[in-house]
Amino acid sequence: MSDWQRLDPRMLVVEPVSELRRFLPVLVGALLAGGFARGGGLGWELLAVVVPVAIGVARYLTTRYRILEGRVELRRGLLQRRLRTTQLDRVRTVDLTASLVHRLLGLATVRIGTGAGADQDLELDGLRAADAQQLREALLARMATAAPGDAGTAPTEDVPAPPPPDRPVLRPVLRLDPAWARYAPLTSAGVVATAALLGVASQALPDSAWRLDRLPELAPAGWGWLLLAAVGVLGAAVSSAVLAVIGYLVTHWDLTLTRTPTQWRLTRGLLTTRETSVEDARLAGVVVREPLGLRLAGAAELAAVVTGLGDGEKGTLTLVPPAPTAVVTGVAGTVLGDDLPTDRPLTAALRAHGPAAVRRRRLRALAPAAALVAIVAALVVADVLTPWALVPAVLTLPAAVVLGEDRARALGHLGVDGFLVSRSGSLVRRREVLGAEHVIGWTVRDTWFQRRSGLVTLEATTAGGSQRVRVLDVPEGDGLLLAAALTPRLLAEVGYRTPASQ
Amino acid sequence: MTSLRPPAHRVHPRARLMWQLAAGTEVLVLTAALVITGVVLDLYALRWCMPVLLAAYAAVRVVVVPVWRFRVHRWEVTAQAAYTQTGWWSRERRLAPMSRIQTVDWDQGPLERLLGLANVTITTASAAGALSIAGLDQATAESLVAELTAKAEAAGGDAT
Repeated sequence: MSDWQRLDPRMLVVEPVSELRRFLPVLVGALLAGGFARGGGLGWELLAVVVPVAIGVARYLTTRYRILEGRVELRRGLLQRRLRTTQLDRVRTVDLTASLVHRLLGLATVRIGTGAGADQDLELDGLRAADAQQLREALLARMATAAPGDAGTAPTEDVPAPPPPDRPVLRPVLRLDPAWARYAPLTSAGVVATAALLGVASQALPDSAWRLDRLPELAPAGWGWLLLAAVGVLGAAVSSAVLAVIGYLVTHWDLTLTRTPTQWRLTRGLLTTRETSVEDARLAGVVVREPLGLRLAGAAELAAVVTGLGDGEKGTLTLVPPAPTAVVTGVAGTVLGDDLPTDRPLTAALRAHGPAAVRRRRLRALAPAAALVAIVAALVVADVLTPWALVPAVLTLPAAVVLGEDRARALGHLGVDGFLVSRSGSLVRRREVLGAEHVIGWTVRDTWFQRRSGLVTLEATTAGGSQRVRVLDVPEGDGLLLAAALTPRLLAEVGYRTPASQ
Repeated sequence: MTSLRPPAHRVHPRARLMWQLAAGTEVLVLTAALVITGVVLDLYALRWCMPVLLAAYAAVRVVVVPVWRFRVHRWEVTAQAAYTQTGWWSRERRLAPMSRIQTVDWDQGPLERLLGLANVTITTASAAGALSIAGLDQATAESLVAELTAKAEAAGGDAT
C-alpha cells in the first residue's frame, strides 16, 4: 500500500457531475441569457459545460494518496499543489459519506479527522465502498488499541481499561421511527425551505407574473383580497409542512445509533448516507433542544456535544431528530451514563435563579416591545404613520410579557452525577448537559446592571459544541457553588471555599 | 463565601496611558472627520449639538473608560491556574487550569512598544476560553510567559 495511487476510476464520472452541479447557477444563467438574447450562439453554453467537466477530470488526474505505516498522505492540485499528511495515531474521527451519485456507482468518501477542525480533515473522495469500509474499520481498530486517553479529552491520569471482551460488540440504542416525521412541520426547517422555494420561484418566473397591479383584475374587489391572502398563507403553511416532512425523512432515514465497545456509531440518510463514529472520550455532553412547536407537542431533539469536530454547529452531532420527549430522554440517559444509564441530568428539577433573574428576563423581553410602541407612537404623532399602525405595535406588548415569563421559568441550573446542567430560552428552549471532566475553565461575566442585582453569567468553557455552556443570570453565590461542585480544585486555587467547609 | 476574590495583581499603570492614547487617536480622527465634512467641504449645516456630543463622547472614552478599565483589569497566576479580570462596564473573570493551557502568546503593538508594554494571551482547547492580559510591563510579560510555559508543561496532560 505504499505506492501513490489514484482514487477509484469511477470518480471520472462523479467529479465532472459534481462540478457541473457546482456550476449549475452559471449554467442556468448562461442558458437563460442565451435564450433571451437570440442569436448569441452556443459559445457560452458550451464553455459552461466544458470548463466544469475539465476541472473535474483534472481533479481526478491530479489527486493521489498513499497509506504508509504510520500515516496517510493525500496529494492534490494542478496549479497549486498540496500535500496533506495525517498521522494515524492522531486520528480521532473516521466518517463515511456516500452521495446519491456515489451510491449508484458503489463508491464512498472517507473523511479522516484529527480534531483540528473540519477544514483540516483529510478526505479520500472516493474509494470503492467495500475498500472504504475496510479502511475505516482498520483505522478505527487502530484507534481502539491505542490508549483512548491519548486521543481523547479525558484527563490522562485515568486511562480507562480496555473494555471487557464479553461485552456485545454492537448494541443498538435507537432506530428511527418514520412516524416521528410528523414533528418535522413544528420546527423551523419547513418555513426556511418554503422561503427558499419562494425565493427561487421569484427569481425564475418572469416579472410579469408578480405584478401586483394586475391582482385586482384576478381577484374580485373587497373580500377577494382577504381570500387571496388566506389562500396564500394556507398554501405556504401546507408547502412548508410537506417540505419539512420530506426533508426530515431524506436526512434521517433509517437513522440508527449503535454502541460499539469504545464508540457511538450513527448512520442515517436516504439519498446520501452518512456514517459517523464518536469515541467515548470525545463525547462531552448533550443538548436537548425544544423549539416552541416541539415543546407544545411533547417532543424534542437531541444533539451530542463532541470535541474535535470544530466550533459551533460542526461541534454538535444530531443524535435524535425531533422525536417524543421520552425517546430523547432515554437516548440521552444511555449516552451520558453508558453502563449506568442516568436520566437525572435530564429530568431532575433544576435550581431556579431567583427573583432578580426573573425581573431581568421580564425587563429584557418587554423593553424592545416598549421601545417599538414608543417609536410608532412618535411617528403617529408626527403624522408619518396612520394611527392603525399602533394596533400591531401594541399587540407586541402582551406577546413580550408571555415571552418574558416563559424565559424566566426556563432559567435553571444543577450539578448532578458529575454533570453541569443548564437550561434557558423560550422560543428555543435548551437544556445543556456537560460532563465535569470536559469543563476546561470558567468565565464569570457581569455587567454593571447585573452587579447591582447580584447576578452573574457563568460560562463553562469546553472544547466541543458551541465551546461553552452558559448559565444565564445566576446569583453569584449559587454560580460559584455550582462551579466548585464540578471543579473543586480549580476554584480552590483562587481561594474559593464552599461555605459548608469553612 | 458568595463572591470570588479578584486576581492579585494590577496591570502596569502605563496601561491607563496607553488606553487613553488609543482613545485619543480615535477621538482625533472623529474630530477631523467632523471638521472636514462639516466645515471644509460644508456638506451639511454644523449644528451646535454635534461638537457637544463629540466632546461628551471624548470625555467618556479618554477620561472615564481608561480609568475604569485600569481599576478592573487584574491578573494572577497560581501554582495550578491562571486567573484574569478584564472589562469595565461589563466585567469578565476567567479561570483556567495549567493542565489545560495550550499556547502562551506574547504580543506588542506599536503603541505598546512605545510605552514598553506587552500583552500575554493564554489559549485553551476551547475557542471561548482564551485568557488575555493587556498592558503588562514588558519584562513582567516576558517572565510571565516563561513561568506559564514551565508550569503548563509541568502540569502535564494533553491540554485538550
